[in-house]
Amino acid sequence: MKNSENEYRLEMSGISKSFGVVSVLKDVTLKVKSGEIHALLGENGAGKSTLIKILSGVHHKDSGTVRLNGEEINPKNTHEGQVLGISVVYQELSLVNDLSVAENIYLHKLGASKFWMNWDKITKDAQELIDSLGFTIDASAKVRNLSIVQKQVVEIAKALSEDTKVLVLDEPTTVFDPTDTKKLFDNLFRLRDQGISIIYISHHLDEIIKIADSITVLRDGVDTGTMAVKDTDTDGIIRLMIGRELKDLFPARNVEIGAEPIFEVKNLTAKDTIVHDVSFSVRPGEVLGIAGLGGSGRTETAKLIFGADKKKSGTLILNGKEIKTKSPVDAAAHQIGFVSEDRKEEGVFLPLSIRRNVSVTNFKSISGKLGFINVDNEYKKVLGLIDKLNIKTPSSEVDVKNLSGGNQQKVALAKWLSIDSKVIFIDEPTRGVDVGAKIEIYNLINEVAKKGVGVVVISSDMPEIMGISDRILVMHEGTIYGELQKEQFSEENILRYSIGKALKQHN
Amino acid sequence: MALTLKQQLSSPGGILKFLVKYNTIFIFIILVIFSALISDVFFTSVNLSNLLKQVSGIGIISIGMLLVILTGGIDLSVGSMVALLAVTFAILINLVILPLAIVLTIAIGFGLGSVSGYLVAYQKMAPFVATLALMTIARGLGFIYAKGSPVTFKTAGGVFMSNFANNSTLGIPNIAIVFFIIVIATMVMLRYNVFGRLIIAIGSNEEASRLSGIKVNKYKFLVYAISGALAATAAIIVASRTNLGSPNMGMSWELDAIAAVVIGGASLNGGRGTAINTLMGVLILGLIGNILNLLNVPSYPQQVVKGAIIIFAVLLQRFESK
Repeated sequence: MKNSENEYRLEMSGISKSFGVVSVLKDVTLKVKSGEIHALLGENGAGKSTLIKILSGVHHKDSGTVRLNGEEINPKNTHEGQVLGISVVYQELSLVNDLSVAENIYLHKLGASKFWMNWDKITKDAQELIDSLGFTIDASAKVRNLSIVQKQVVEIAKALSEDTKVLVLDEPTTVFDPTDTKKLFDNLFRLRDQGISIIYISHHLDEIIKIADSITVLRDGVDTGTMAVKDTDTDGIIRLMIGRELKDLFPARNVEIGAEPIFEVKNLTAKDTIVHDVSFSVRPGEVLGIAGLGGSGRTETAKLIFGADKKKSGTLILNGKEIKTKSPVDAAAHQIGFVSEDRKEEGVFLPLSIRRNVSVTNFKSISGKLGFINVDNEYKKVLGLIDKLNIKTPSSEVDVKNLSGGNQQKVALAKWLSIDSKVIFIDEPTRGVDVGAKIEIYNLINEVAKKGVGVVVISSDMPEIMGISDRILVMHEGTIYGELQKEQFSEENILRYSIGKALKQHN
Repeated sequence: MALTLKQQLSSPGGILKFLVKYNTIFIFIILVIFSALISDVFFTSVNLSNLLKQVSGIGIISIGMLLVILTGGIDLSVGSMVALLAVTFAILINLVILPLAIVLTIAIGFGLGSVSGYLVAYQKMAPFVATLALMTIARGLGFIYAKGSPVTFKTAGGVFMSNFANNSTLGIPNIAIVFFIIVIATMVMLRYNVFGRLIIAIGSNEEASRLSGIKVNKYKFLVYAISGALAATAAIIVASRTNLGSPNMGMSWELDAIAAVVIGGASLNGGRGTAINTLMGVLILGLIGNILNLLNVPSYPQQVVKGAIIIFAVLLQRFESK
């Protein structure tokens, strides 16, 4: 306090930035102490990423100052940023698939080093670094062969391979299950205690409350203030983020659930994945949650049912009739929908307009004999869906890549709502989506169920899956380990089933 | 829906944005003006109709190339296919009646394209590799069937085709009309037909297409087959112009076709490109050749200029996507 010069490790003040005519940041201040975990919050498009990119040297600020240890810095590119000790783990994984883990971790040093590389030493160093994080990954393995969770760990190790003073993590836990998340947090605490300043970006407010010391909230490019975490709670943070009161994150479930199942799965076993002997049913109007740790086979089960993976045995029954889904073509023909967890790679067509995205599943109803599209009809349908899903866009002709994460997710959903799906699988419905859009997506799921659709939601987000499901199946090692009724919902119960243990009261 | 022209032009930096967005058309217009200024001969009907006749063959295979590139693939076989199919057509026209010769040639083109399509779509072979193999095979077969020398048209059907290919209707060369019809049909198909929409979707994100229940393999197969059929159409045209089918025809045309598609702003990663811009790309390439010929520039410097124009066009497009 006495010496304000040294109180903060990092001081960004009066930062403004515009792209063309769009003003992204307006006079933003962010001050981070050493040995502190500082959460940076805000809805998608609030300017968090831009602020971080200015810090790391990707973008250049229009005005304002950045000080590191009291000295003004102006990194021109990410290399300069790294040399200064600023490391960023971005949301989009930036690893080179064909190189080994060790090569990736030390990639930035390869160019700067001597002509010859000491691969043994690099691999050994990388292995030590990963081991110190408490994860088991072979440093000589090719990154291509890693799971998405392991890739994220490598990203973090890469950031720590420098002499890091400020570590920025952008949504690091989206792909993590609770066990991995806890491991990551332990690491962050350790780094904090070593005096590293950590800037943590996340949409998971529960996480923030758990780990951050202080928070700064951005809204529409303006910071709405910094505060100590102990002085606030989730509701307080949400209020700052969206600028309005928030009654309830999850809508009330008042849907009438049918008696007979609309869709049944019996003894489904995969040919190439760990999924085996999966049986369950979903009734019309029901929201069925599927929980489980990463790698327990949740996504694979959905893909298997949808025909994207190959089946070995098992039966699918839709409306009492057995169906075969050899490929997604069959599944779509039976009006089974699947919204992928990987929105950008598997969900939407980023370079195409909203209209072209939504129509992709729906050509039958808008085209004539020779496949000619009735464009008036198409506009009508698409504009109807944009309106219904409250997709925020000036027109149906905007490319999906220009939409926020939440609106992209709505487009991915719209694809399947346009064909009146009977059963719809939604994998991680709100990954990387801001709070405002989350609520809209939950309401949407509710409304879809109301129409008698069987909705199956896969989610790693515990409050989410408990908040929106009527019933939860928990997967463990490729099969359904247990089923929880509404009154049994608790994080503990889900976790116990996830790791293959019985519930406590059953002991 | 979309902004009106006026709105676009009056927004900040609007004129520049407009120019960048429609850069292919502007390059074309600038080239036309430039050509007209420096050569008296350029705007004569003889020269213009020659220009159109020269580009029609490459233009037609460029449209096939566009369809393949839209799915994220590439078809290196089209130049050699033109040679093989021109020889095929010349042999057929001397054997059977004209309509049958045309139908058979196009069917054989479709069949050869199907081989590439099968290898790419169902055997997951890299398009570059599969069509490279087809390129060598087609050229070799062309020489084998022609026994090393051109096959000349000998029948009345041949005379008819030769007349058709060298004459004009309402001042426009007949073969250019064929080319324009194909361009317009493709334009309509890409905008208003499910087939067009789906190949663009596949090119912009194949996995998302698969998970949307699209028959990805079927459509990938079809674009190569169609490219083959269009190569056959081009072959019929070029053979008819010269009254013969030669295994030396279409030499490195696949590269010109790729260049035309790229100058037309299509992305080699797939998902982006239009028929009208490919037409512009074809005309730009043709114009450069034409004007340099009129200026008596030898063919080697011509190639240098062509390459420079490709680089310039692609740089402009990068500016556009920013």
